[in-house]
Amino acid sequence: MESHRRTADDVSAANRNFAGVAEPVSHLNGHRPAAMDAASFHDASQRILTTVNTVIDGKSDAAKLALTVLLAQGHLLLEDVPGVGKTLLAKTLARTIDCTVNRIQFTPDLLPSDVTGVSIYNQSSRLFEFRPGAVFANIVIGDEINRASAKTQSALLECMEEHQVTVDGKSYRLDEPFMVVATQNPIEMEGTYPLPEAQRDRFMARISMGYPDKDSEIEMLETHQSASPLANVSRVVTAADVAAMIATVQQVYVSQAVKEYTVSLGRATRESPLLRLGASPRSMLQLLRAAKATAALDGRDFVLPDDVVGVAEAVLAHRIILDRKAAGAGETAHSVLRGLLSRLPVTHKPAETGARAGASAGRSAPVAGLSRNH
Amino acid sequence: MTMAPARDPGTGRQPPPSAAAPAGRSRVGAYPWVMAGSIAVAVAGAALSLNGVMRGWAWYWPVFTTVLVVSLTLAALRAVRAQPLLVTAGGFLSLGAILTLTFFRSTSFAGLFPTAASLGELDRLIRRASETVLSETAPVAPNVGIVMVTCAVLGLAVILVDALAVPLGMPAATGVGLLAILAVPAMIKPQSVGFWGFTAAVAGYLLILACSQWYVPDARTQADSARSPGQGRRAVLTGAVAVAATMVLPLAIPGFDQGTFPQGSRINPWGTSTGLNPMITLGNSLRTPAGSGRISYATNSPTPLYLRSVTVDNFDGDSWGPDDRNASRRPLGNQIDPGYAVAEEQQLVTAVDAGTFTSPYLPVPYAPESVRGLEGRWTWDPATLSIKGTDTTSRRQEYLVTSTVPKLTAALLARSSGPVQGIADDFTRIPGNVPDIVRTTADRVAGSSATPYDKAMAIQKYLRSAEFTYSLQSPVQGGYDGNGLSVLADFLNQKSGYCIHYASAMAVMARLEGIPSRIAVGYAPGRLTGATVTVAGQGALPEYEVDARDAHAWPELYFQGLGWVPFEPTPSRGVVPDYATEGSAFSAPGSLENNDDLVPDATRAPAPAPSAAPLPLPGAGGPADTGSPFLPWLLGTAALLGAALLAASPRLVRTGIRARRLRPAGTAAAVPLAWSEMVDLGTDYGLPPEPSETPRAYSARLRGSALLGEPGGMDEAAHQAAAALTAEFERQKYGPPAEVPDGDQSRTGRAGSRATELAGTRITAIETALRANARTLRRLRALWLPPSVIGRLGRLLATPFKVVYGAARAGLGKAAKAAARTWSTR
Repeated sequence: MESHRRTADDVSAANRNFAGVAEPVSHLNGHRPAAMDAASFHDASQRILTTVNTVIDGKSDAAKLALTVLLAQGHLLLEDVPGVGKTLLAKTLARTIDCTVNRIQFTPDLLPSDVTGVSIYNQSSRLFEFRPGAVFANIVIGDEINRASAKTQSALLECMEEHQVTVDGKSYRLDEPFMVVATQNPIEMEGTYPLPEAQRDRFMARISMGYPDKDSEIEMLETHQSASPLANVSRVVTAADVAAMIATVQQVYVSQAVKEYTVSLGRATRESPLLRLGASPRSMLQLLRAAKATAALDGRDFVLPDDVVGVAEAVLAHRIILDRKAAGAGETAHSVLRGLLSRLPVTHKPAETGARAGASAGRSAPVAGLSRNH
Repeated sequence: MTMAPARDPGTGRQPPPSAAAPAGRSRVGAYPWVMAGSIAVAVAGAALSLNGVMRGWAWYWPVFTTVLVVSLTLAALRAVRAQPLLVTAGGFLSLGAILTLTFFRSTSFAGLFPTAASLGELDRLIRRASETVLSETAPVAPNVGIVMVTCAVLGLAVILVDALAVPLGMPAATGVGLLAILAVPAMIKPQSVGFWGFTAAVAGYLLILACSQWYVPDARTQADSARSPGQGRRAVLTGAVAVAATMVLPLAIPGFDQGTFPQGSRINPWGTSTGLNPMITLGNSLRTPAGSGRISYATNSPTPLYLRSVTVDNFDGDSWGPDDRNASRRPLGNQIDPGYAVAEEQQLVTAVDAGTFTSPYLPVPYAPESVRGLEGRWTWDPATLSIKGTDTTSRRQEYLVTSTVPKLTAALLARSSGPVQGIADDFTRIPGNVPDIVRTTADRVAGSSATPYDKAMAIQKYLRSAEFTYSLQSPVQGGYDGNGLSVLADFLNQKSGYCIHYASAMAVMARLEGIPSRIAVGYAPGRLTGATVTVAGQGALPEYEVDARDAHAWPELYFQGLGWVPFEPTPSRGVVPDYATEGSAFSAPGSLENNDDLVPDATRAPAPAPSAAPLPLPGAGGPADTGSPFLPWLLGTAALLGAALLAASPRLVRTGIRARRLRPAGTAAAVPLAWSEMVDLGTDYGLPPEPSETPRAYSARLRGSALLGEPGGMDEAAHQAAAALTAEFERQKYGPPAEVPDGDQSRTGRAGSRATELAGTRITAIETALRANARTLRRLRALWLPPSVIGRLGRLLATPFKVVYGAARAGLGKAAKAAARTWSTR
């Protein structure tokens, strides 16, 4: 499996010309990290959330969802009006983890090579040397991602999906964990390049921060007057911890019923007359991953339909496209999804399911094994 | 001109031209014909129910032709795209033409156009019809006047229904026209509308609705619902179910057919014979191919026994019927007193099981002295000794009758020549306007005889002579089916008829000759069933049975000192009593035919009589006189138990389901079953789960509602139980499969029973909280009519329909599609 993921191994080994380039793969990739036990998982996640919540007042849901996306190995798109703390959330999350963080401010004149890195000629060694771009970090914060040209945006595509960078035909692995937290501004779209649908599909979830409530806002005014709250943020977990947490999430059990429920949700979006474009199979995969992370954060080692429901809006809303008529009728992606979820039946035949599970315990074991590979 | 209008007025409101229709004007197609057919079916079907308002079926043919001609005219005019008003006018014209052709052919011009003479004729017919309505009681004889009026009204009904359905576009309102037709038999006929009339009218009405929907869909719903493929099937299914329910429901639920508002029985489409005029139904009963209303009886009578239910003594008017004499009736007590003494009597005991025979009049052998074992309130008429129920019928009655018959001989009768005394005037009054033929026949046959007995025998002999034939059909064909003096005249002319004619002929002629007389209606002696019935004090008595085909009428003549004496003038029916056989009075036996098969075997016949030890005195009989008096009690108790069981059955089912769920099972099964129980409990107390609700969401809703009370308070246990149960159920359903037990069977068994025990405790806690927090009504409903069970029952009942619907979908899909294609391309 490792060899499949390390597509660049042989290439880089053969490339003596890039002598100066350190193998850009962290030690974590060498072996599969061991999963955490439930208690330490709970401790670690609580530490992260507590820290984030001290910085951002009244946004615990958004913080939890951001952590969910991190643990589910997805990428996060924060979309909201300016000044509600999108960048702050991203930076806080990054700061709580002892890992490398890079921040890219996307501008119209940003070039793809600024993101991925570039090979330059070293006069002294007379060799081409690869200088890694900003994307070589555990957490990459892409601020105002829609300000960059489509060319630059798509430079992120490969990184996000495959966790690797290819420059001059050479592929470089990115560190694990790797997460892109991008922010974008839905208003003031002049001079912006809206994210193409393909790219939006690579973000696991899109979160709108929303305005804080009254008390939180007052408290924010109180605490954030003098110093940046980020200054007090200390690192509470290591990158290794996060990798272990990710491994734990991967081991969360997904029952057949939940898989069926997830698939039927996806099919419902595709069959809905209100939608022009339904959810893709990839989004189903990401939905299930997010649900697993939610279940793990909830202290469970199995996924409930509730977990799927809980993340469905965040995961699916930015991927589906409304029909023109539905949009004209005032529907939004969120309202359509909520309507679908309120009609989608959850199998309520516990007796049968129980009997079946009891009868075919042996058969469901391989299913469980497969589900761990997600 | 009118034949080529610019607009298409063909059906008033045409559907917009479909894609398949040729550009320009759409074709009229089959619509007018189908619609006219539907209307004809509806109106002609509703007219079926008029049988019984008018006698026989002879009137139906003109009615049918009228309806058909009018509706076909409307359809034809519509097919050639006449203006809507013109169509209706054409309907009136065709109605006039067909009525002229049917009723005024002789005075009309070319058979179709009425002349001034026809109008005079019309006036005469209308007057005749109004006389019929005013003077006669249903069923009336179908004379020309009443049939003409019926035809005219039904033709108008066709035009009305058509106008409502097509040009006015209110097909649902056509029901009013049909209801107007059905209202007549419903009000007049004692047995209400009747099955066929009702069904045909409803079927026609549904057809009209279907045609309207298929051809001229409502403009508002055109976009989606017009000709939607499932619609026809849904409509057919719904209609069929509704009609079936209308048929079945009156059988199942008590209606206004007894008690304070018995009028409701007229709306029962099945029609019971409650309150029937037995004289009218007798002919119909005799003509039923399969005997219904079986009565079985066991008797110690040595002679064939006639069961009499009622007598007819008033021979005035066009239609005779029993006179109930409600004023002088007495409640049925221990003793029935015939009002006269007879010298030498013989006492008979008869046990009767009335079975399915339904009539307010009780069939008993004459002359009853006491009747025991009856249910309900009964009265008897001192004048005729007929026994009638005030609020009950003979259906399913079992009773023991003690009756007396005078020991009659021909000599005894011949001696009774004294003037009649002590008999009500009702039995001797000679009706007015007796037809001449009756009078002359009576004079010719019996005028020369001296004694009343001789006169009676002469009349009987005349009626039993070879001149007369017994026929059930010829009165119908001859138009004199029924009773009354005019019928009697027809009968004496045709010399063919059945018992009612013979009996009334003899009764009327006897009165003319001065003998008090009346007509008894009941049953001729029956057939031996081969079984025996044990009657206390009588031993085993042979059992006989009679059914509707044995219905009979016979005359009873009064002889001073001997009482009412039955005679048998009807050839080939019944048994001529010994005293009335010709041999006893006349030397020539003639062509008498005694139906020997009706008489008990000569060898066996006397057997019961001698063994009859002193009869138990009526009223003094022990508790074991009709076999088992406990039987009614037993039946009553069983019925009560059954009713209680039925009332409790949802509760029983619910309890059963819970018991099954909380039965010790494996650990794996215990939790899901307990969860189902919790969901059902929630459903019972008014919180059913939504299909889209996850277990966690439902549990949260249950705990959040007021049903479980406040958490932390007294109901904390229930909250904890619900939460724990939910968590366990989630783990079981969605969690990783449980580890395989260590193989220690006893341990898993213990774990299973422990899980069951735990589930039981939790469920009890939850139910206690639910019961404590629910309001009284909701608690009662949850106990006795738990929605979880009722819902399950509903789904169960819906299953056959779903299956049928599925089959219809699969099977009729192609046909319906083809039909829809045909229609859509018209």
